[in-house]
Amino acid sequence: MLKRPAAVLGLFESPRALLSAIELLRARGRWSLEAYTPYPVPGAEAALGLKRSPLAAMVLIMGSLGALTAYLFQWWMNSVDYPIVVGGKPVDAWQAYVPVLFEVTVLFAAFTAGLGMLLLLNRLPDFRHPLLSSKSAAALTRDKFGLALEPAEGPFDAGAAEAALREVGAEAVEVLNQPAPPAPVKPRTLLLLAAGGALACLAAGLGTYWTLKLFPALPPMSHMLEHPKLVPQKPSAFFKDGRGMQAGVPGTMARGRLPYPCKTEACASRLANPLPRAAEVLRKGRKAFDTSCAVCHGALANGRPLLSEAYGAKPADLQSSRFLSMEDGRIYHTLMTGKSAMPSFASSLTDDERWSLAHYLRALQRAQHAEDEDLR
Amino acid sequence: MAPEATLSPASLDERVLSAAERKPPAAWWLALAAAASCMSLGFALMAYTLYMGIGAWGNNRPVVWAFDIINFVFWIGIGHAGTLISAILLLFRARWRNAISRTAEAMTLFAVVCAGLFPLIHLGRPWINFWLFPYPNQRGLWPNFRSPLIWDVFAVSTYFSVSLLFWYLGLVPDIASMRERARPGLRKLVLTVLSLGWRGEASHWRHYEKAYLLLAGLATGLVLSVHSVVSFDFAVSLVPGWHMTIFPPYFVAGAIFSGFAMVVLVLSVVRRTMRLEDIITPHHLEMMNKVILATSCLMAYSYLVEGFTAWYSMNPYLHHIFKQYLWGTYGWTGWTAIFCNCLIPQLFWSSRLRRSAPVMLFVAVAVLIGMWFERFVIIVISLHQDFLPSSWHLYEPTLVDYGILLGSFGLFFTLVLLFARLLPVIATTEMKAHLPREDAHA
Repeated sequence: MLKRPAAVLGLFESPRALLSAIELLRARGRWSLEAYTPYPVPGAEAALGLKRSPLAAMVLIMGSLGALTAYLFQWWMNSVDYPIVVGGKPVDAWQAYVPVLFEVTVLFAAFTAGLGMLLLLNRLPDFRHPLLSSKSAAALTRDKFGLALEPAEGPFDAGAAEAALREVGAEAVEVLNQPAPPAPVKPRTLLLLAAGGALACLAAGLGTYWTLKLFPALPPMSHMLEHPKLVPQKPSAFFKDGRGMQAGVPGTMARGRLPYPCKTEACASRLANPLPRAAEVLRKGRKAFDTSCAVCHGALANGRPLLSEAYGAKPADLQSSRFLSMEDGRIYHTLMTGKSAMPSFASSLTDDERWSLAHYLRALQRAQHAEDEDLR
Repeated sequence: MAPEATLSPASLDERVLSAAERKPPAAWWLALAAAASCMSLGFALMAYTLYMGIGAWGNNRPVVWAFDIINFVFWIGIGHAGTLISAILLLFRARWRNAISRTAEAMTLFAVVCAGLFPLIHLGRPWINFWLFPYPNQRGLWPNFRSPLIWDVFAVSTYFSVSLLFWYLGLVPDIASMRERARPGLRKLVLTVLSLGWRGEASHWRHYEKAYLLLAGLATGLVLSVHSVVSFDFAVSLVPGWHMTIFPPYFVAGAIFSGFAMVVLVLSVVRRTMRLEDIITPHHLEMMNKVILATSCLMAYSYLVEGFTAWYSMNPYLHHIFKQYLWGTYGWTGWTAIFCNCLIPQLFWSSRLRRSAPVMLFVAVAVLIGMWFERFVIIVISLHQDFLPSSWHLYEPTLVDYGILLGSFGLFFTLVLLFARLLPVIATTEMKAHLPREDAHA
């Protein structure tokens, strides 16, 4: 392939020689000029007529964006989505967000300055630039100063450019050729690349899957799972009887429970409901009824719940006359002991809930057997 | 400066960049073997800690922070000198920084690597360290941004990434020079990729210089903030001896103090072994020793103010803990810190001693020891007797603690040694721009 000249490069001994050459050649106006120096030469920008770098403005914008981002994400996370009160301060106190706000601002600004300069403004990495393959590259990164002439417009007369460079004092001149265009990608290469990419994705996916699955099960990650602990319904060597779950110590009660003296319904029927018939109590009773009773006895306590067909048993109709006249104490007793298919609610409901349930059942019964008096 | 006058850009390249092209001398291999052995020991003990849990260390209530956090604060502090030299002195146009900036910046990075390890292993379960970062999760939880520990995560990770970027940016033109010196092959390929094909175009330099200046400005704020945030870990708590408003400036001054000591220590070895005596001159070392002297006086002042604040507070808990600093079980650590940090650097008032290699090595090592013990005083003594006398407890480090501390020094010096052979230890591009030339331009 024929090599086309892209530019002509002249080498100069010192920054001063470079600057004066730039001045002379710029005046002729036939070429666009680019200087290559081992270190930033003061005055080169002005001599080449380069505009000021827009980097500072970019950094300012991105830094402000970083500050805003940091403030908003902290405020949303800790004041809105998951508010935590620390030290009695208001949940939207902004002062605590300042340190992270500052760090994120610097992070955004610094990466804009560094990567924005390299990647956006200077369009690096660029491994195909003609200068990189030139003979002068080593000298230009060491101690020589290069000036490249490129055609401002139209066809490029490399000879004239060479002569002009020598005239202004270049000690060596070199023609830089256009880089060869990249060879077209062969279908076979493309196929191999695609297959390789797919395989890599598969391996990464499976690897991640198995790592996440296996990793927590390996020691020492699993140590938190394997520490000695009691599991209910599982044997344990810790106690003499070999059980994980232990019966209460004789003569003690759990908090919130009272000893229940009655063995018979007759005894229970003499117990008075200790709770007043108040809105608070009825609300509690309703919650307990809806949670524990309504599934079988129905939401209206009429023994006809939605599920009764499905499981065959015949739950009691609590609206029947037998229950209308039943004492609170006997209802309480049934809840404690259970009856035929009904289990005991001694442990799953508290004392207060059982008495509240009795009140609430009265309310349900009254609602289903309302009299004219009630409507008035 | 007179010695620099004999240097030319070409000879500078030849001297500095060729280090990576030669076979390293036997002494280097010996030093690397020693450092890497310590490093391996440290890593092995960290693995042991991970397996056994941090019960392998001496930490126990109420001294739940001990060697791990002492070492963290110590190493973060070491890093601060590099950023100070590369950023703040650049803004002040202190030209003596050019010869030492590259190595100091590299040391910043390596010190932050060492520092970052300690909070990580102190987590006990470092594999879930990502819980520290805000990421959407099915538990619907977010980190608590009112906690200084989270500020610390952000400060240290920002500090590391910005320092890395700053260091790399300075390296790009130097790597380009190395690339042009390299023979075709793998080395050249790696250098080409690392240099991003940098070609020293004037239009690139224009953005580059701007970026460097902006980064210096940003890094200046950053370096002041990082150790302030580290001090918040203590100052925001209510522990007597920690809850002090002087902590941020006091920590920053201490960080610069210990950092310069480490820079002096490393550079006085590097210049001797790599024969860079005429590039890193006694003048440079003397300037650093002056900074050490100034920060030493700042430390002495901080100690006095701290003591005065404690006394003036009329707070019996504070009085008690300050007595422990000097006259308690660990009182000797407090005296060590005062002796090494406030008294020994006073030798540098004499210009003869400031320029004497053995004296500065002695002072640098003393300062490093003193600053380590200062953190011991702050952390262990303040914690070991808390508000509840029934929980008072004496702390005793285990062999694992000592091994990991040694390992962090091994890691640091392994990285320094690798850096000295693989990358230019002097910022040649920056030096060249300031070498006096016969036809010096206006």
